[in-house]
Amino acid sequence: MNPRLPAPYGSLINRDAPLDFSFERKSYQGFAGDSIASALAANRHWLLSRSFKYHRPRGALTMAGQDANTMVQLPSNPNALADRELISHKLDVMGQNYSGSLRTDRGALLGLFSRFLPVGFYYKAFFKPRGIWEKWAPLIRKKAGLGVIDQQLQPDYYDKQYKFFDVVVVGAGPAGMQAALESAVEGCEVLLVDENPILGGSLNYTRFDAEGVRGRQLREQLTKKIAANSNITCMTDAVCNAWFADNWLPIIRHKRLYKVRAKQTILCTGALEQQAVFHNNDLPGVMMSSAAQRLIHLYAVRPGQAAVIVTGNNDGYANALDLLDAGVEVKVIVDLREAPSQSAMIDAVVARGIRIETGYAVYEAQKARNHLSAVQIRKITSPGICADSGEVISCDLLCMAVGYTPTYQLVCQAGGQLSYDDDSAIFTLSNCPAVMQIAGSVNSHWDLDACLAEASRAAIIATNALGLSHTEEPAQIARESVSPNHPWPIFAHSGGKEFVDYDEDLTIADIINATRDGYEHIQLVKRYSTCGMGPSQGRHSALAAARLVAAATNRTVAKTGVTTARPPFAPEHLGHSAGRSFYPARRSNMHYRHLEAGAQMLQAGAWYRPAFYGSANNSQQCINQEVSNVRNNVGLVDVSTLGGIEVRGADAAEFLNRFYTFGFVKQPVGKARYALLTNEGGVVIDDGVACRFSDDHYYVTATTGGVDRVYQSMLKWNAQWRLDIDIANVTSAYCGVNIAGPRARQVLAKLCTDVDLSAESFPYMGVRQGTVSGIAARLIRVGFVGELGYEIHVPQHCGEALWDALMEAGQEQGIRPFGIEAQRVLRLEKGHIIIGQDTDAMSNPMEVQMGWAVSRKKPFFVGGRTISELEKKRQLRSLVGFVINDPRAPIPKESHLVLEGEQMTGRVTSCNYSPTLQKPIGLAYVNLENTQPGSRIIIKSTGGVRITAEVVPLPFYDPDALRQEL
Amino acid sequence: MSSITPTQVTRRSQLYRRHSELGAEFEENNGLILVKAYGSETELAQAKELGLADLSTLPRTGFKGAGAPDWVTAQGVTLPRQPNTCAVQSDAGLVAKLSYQELLVLSDLNATSSMIEKLNQCSVGEQTYALPRADSHCWLAVTGSQAAEMFSKICAVDLRAHKFANAEVAQTSVAKANSIVIRHDLGSTQCFYILTDVSATEFLWDCLLDAMAEYQGKPVGIEALRALV
Repeated sequence: MNPRLPAPYGSLINRDAPLDFSFERKSYQGFAGDSIASALAANRHWLLSRSFKYHRPRGALTMAGQDANTMVQLPSNPNALADRELISHKLDVMGQNYSGSLRTDRGALLGLFSRFLPVGFYYKAFFKPRGIWEKWAPLIRKKAGLGVIDQQLQPDYYDKQYKFFDVVVVGAGPAGMQAALESAVEGCEVLLVDENPILGGSLNYTRFDAEGVRGRQLREQLTKKIAANSNITCMTDAVCNAWFADNWLPIIRHKRLYKVRAKQTILCTGALEQQAVFHNNDLPGVMMSSAAQRLIHLYAVRPGQAAVIVTGNNDGYANALDLLDAGVEVKVIVDLREAPSQSAMIDAVVARGIRIETGYAVYEAQKARNHLSAVQIRKITSPGICADSGEVISCDLLCMAVGYTPTYQLVCQAGGQLSYDDDSAIFTLSNCPAVMQIAGSVNSHWDLDACLAEASRAAIIATNALGLSHTEEPAQIARESVSPNHPWPIFAHSGGKEFVDYDEDLTIADIINATRDGYEHIQLVKRYSTCGMGPSQGRHSALAAARLVAAATNRTVAKTGVTTARPPFAPEHLGHSAGRSFYPARRSNMHYRHLEAGAQMLQAGAWYRPAFYGSANNSQQCINQEVSNVRNNVGLVDVSTLGGIEVRGADAAEFLNRFYTFGFVKQPVGKARYALLTNEGGVVIDDGVACRFSDDHYYVTATTGGVDRVYQSMLKWNAQWRLDIDIANVTSAYCGVNIAGPRARQVLAKLCTDVDLSAESFPYMGVRQGTVSGIAARLIRVGFVGELGYEIHVPQHCGEALWDALMEAGQEQGIRPFGIEAQRVLRLEKGHIIIGQDTDAMSNPMEVQMGWAVSRKKPFFVGGRTISELEKKRQLRSLVGFVINDPRAPIPKESHLVLEGEQMTGRVTSCNYSPTLQKPIGLAYVNLENTQPGSRIIIKSTGGVRITAEVVPLPFYDPDALRQEL
Repeated sequence: MSSITPTQVTRRSQLYRRHSELGAEFEENNGLILVKAYGSETELAQAKELGLADLSTLPRTGFKGAGAPDWVTAQGVTLPRQPNTCAVQSDAGLVAKLSYQELLVLSDLNATSSMIEKLNQCSVGEQTYALPRADSHCWLAVTGSQAAEMFSKICAVDLRAHKFANAEVAQTSVAKANSIVIRHDLGSTQCFYILTDVSATEFLWDCLLDAMAEYQGKPVGIEALRALV
């Protein structure tokens, strides 16, 4: 028999495009559009995987990518769903989770010991004797997990895209298509999303009438209308993986995550068919009736040769008709119901002479060569109980049609409430937010006309809410009185192996025993047994587990409830979340000049800064040379990353007076003043200099990492103070350099002729505006590195030209660029602290010897009240300078501890070798007893080595500040 | 190779090396260096489909403060009525109103607008504060029918033509960089100006080219943009 059925069967495959692929190193052929599972099924290969715990053989269950049975290994992708993943040319597919071969898995021997592996096995078995877990853990961890990660994988390109729609309809089945159309005709921009390759949902494979024509006809009608409506965007092969607040829908399609904003969402997500629970219900060949129909209609594959159908509704009869039409022998329909209601579908089956057994159940499935070979059916004597004997019927296909659960996950994520009526076995969803409507089988409507009517109603509600229509809201559509859900399709067996949860190999006994161990709440049962925690996230176990827990604890299913359905709905690659993230990198206009000069760059926040110039293998020497050149000649450092804030207006001085610790009201125009910032807790949080260019204009610098916070803080405080000022963060608008060293003035004088640079006219802490090499510039005489120096701030786009001009002009004076590593050494020699490095979240000005920068005469400044209180108390620590005189001692690093005996009394905040002093120098917090020059402190360095350091007065270099004031 | 080079002047776009690597021909206009073209014969068509241009060296300025609207109006500027909109000036310049008290003034593509120089040279009025917009922000232009679609990959604001009208302004995040996005169509071609922190220019340029690649978007010179008007 030809394994493929003739067209029109096979709506997803292209018979003109055969593709070769391999599974378990054996070659197969399928067609473009085939999933791995369907292509293998067409080749009559049904075994796809081994179960997680007992290594049981597993095959297709849903053919919808909703179960873990089909998980296979692709070359760079473990746990791919074989019924979702398409074949491609030469695709190499392997099974996973087996020892030996997929067909003969030695791990299956574990099944023989299943009685010794009860629910909660891990919790019970490995906690004593003490230390036993460490022995078992390596073995168990080796067994845990599925598939193999390709650690050499070069990640694919994943990215993200925003989309905006008036209405997003999730699910393109009959209800979804109808809802999309009805919304679109009212003028809405509609997105119709479906996880399948084509529109239609159940219309593509479900038999809605005895003749089997209605579904196809309706699909064609709706599809044509949708194609003709320009307001509808269709997104197939796309999964809406969650619902987040404000209708934020993450939709995954291929390698892109769409961040969709919808004004209204209509969920038509359908329902998931559920399994019957009986002995060996997991064998390959046992599948949902909808899976068999998918194989037939979507892939033109006969799901078997001889079939038995176990059903609790009339869908099983429709399934029988489909199987018959596809040439499959239907041996018997086993109807759990004692007296099925009359229907045209049953009449059609009867007319075709199919044997029907009502009030019967499939008691067990039997296997041969890893596949279903027969079932034993028995008369049901009471719910869940079968007669003592039954009839064995040989078959290679068992289709299960015993009911559905709504695909409720997105609804519940939006706050919807799932309810269950124990008498009618009907699920209902309520409490949806106003921006969400639901329609179709997700809302327990099974009749096609009812689904369409309800979809129209949902569309009217949605479009009315958007103000695009003003149609009277139709009355709610009444549900059918008879539910397709059989209330108890669960049959315990003396041999167990009636699987409730396929993912975790959990049986009826496991769930009941969890309740007997005291875990009666469904959420506790889940965590104790791991039911619903596997890859399929309880899609097929939640209902059966709830029923069993309800029965075992004498509650209703309604009261028992189901476990929480958290995002994501379907597995997603890490790349979808991680792919193409943005990390804005900041570069000064001089950036490439640093690279050209051989700079080793480092990132300071988002900024790239030159660490030093020269080989990374020779860093210390490079840094030392840069330091020496600043001390002896002249150096140039890029300080563009320093923050710059303009404070302008009549109250500018008053504002700074309140904001910073120092006094600013009397600051002369043309002078800069050190600006120390504390928070309300008196903690030092930033520093800079405030340059007064006119009575009402200050240009304030701030630290690279702190400027945004300082700016925000300024805005916050002035929102309270309402002073007449304007605050503008102009950090990026200016490119800056610090030209420093005894020859700095000589170099600058060549390029700056409109400012008198003499020490008398432009003294230390003076500020001027002029031009440098024809570029408008702000000049600030500062001494961060302890030498004669000028910060020159120019418009950002002129930064490179300024750099070029200074480097050229300074050739004669031996100018060299220096990086921030040398700058750190230079400032340390000068005893200047770096906020954030030499301060922490508790540092007040007195501790860091900055009491001189705090005005006690001002009525107020931020943090002033706390500082005055702190000054009344005994100080606990102080930042001091130290030197290490022992030339053999290793150089301590930042955060190395200062010890007194074994007691920690402080820590190192900065430490470097000083080329100028030719010994290591540093700053450290010490207790007050050790602050006097000459005190000895012990530093615990790398490897526990104790180093003796001597406390010395600060600064280490040029204590009289003669050099910076040259 | 162009005889005009960006390093012959002091104002240099952060991107000039990128332009040179792409074979750009530069033009000099009143001391400003701009990319004239990249040498493709289809650059105009490219700009109509999806083009990216660097306008960072063109003049621009800004003012804020309670007195700013009245002061710039007194200087002859036509203000947009609403914040987050912009208005074309009689000299072809563009003024965007970023808030009730903040204005951004952009040159025309030929840098012939006289307003910016006039505003910069005047003494500002009371409670009016000049902002160094020419250097605080880079200025890029994304043009073409695919521009809005491309933007949806890097910007959370819906910039489609029927949702974001010509002359609208969005102050938002583009590729996580704070940006001012101005729709200022050139003739019948959609055009979005993006003004982003100048230090992130290269980052943004790379992000835009990456996002544009899917739609075959490419850099275009100012000559192509002028031809659209």
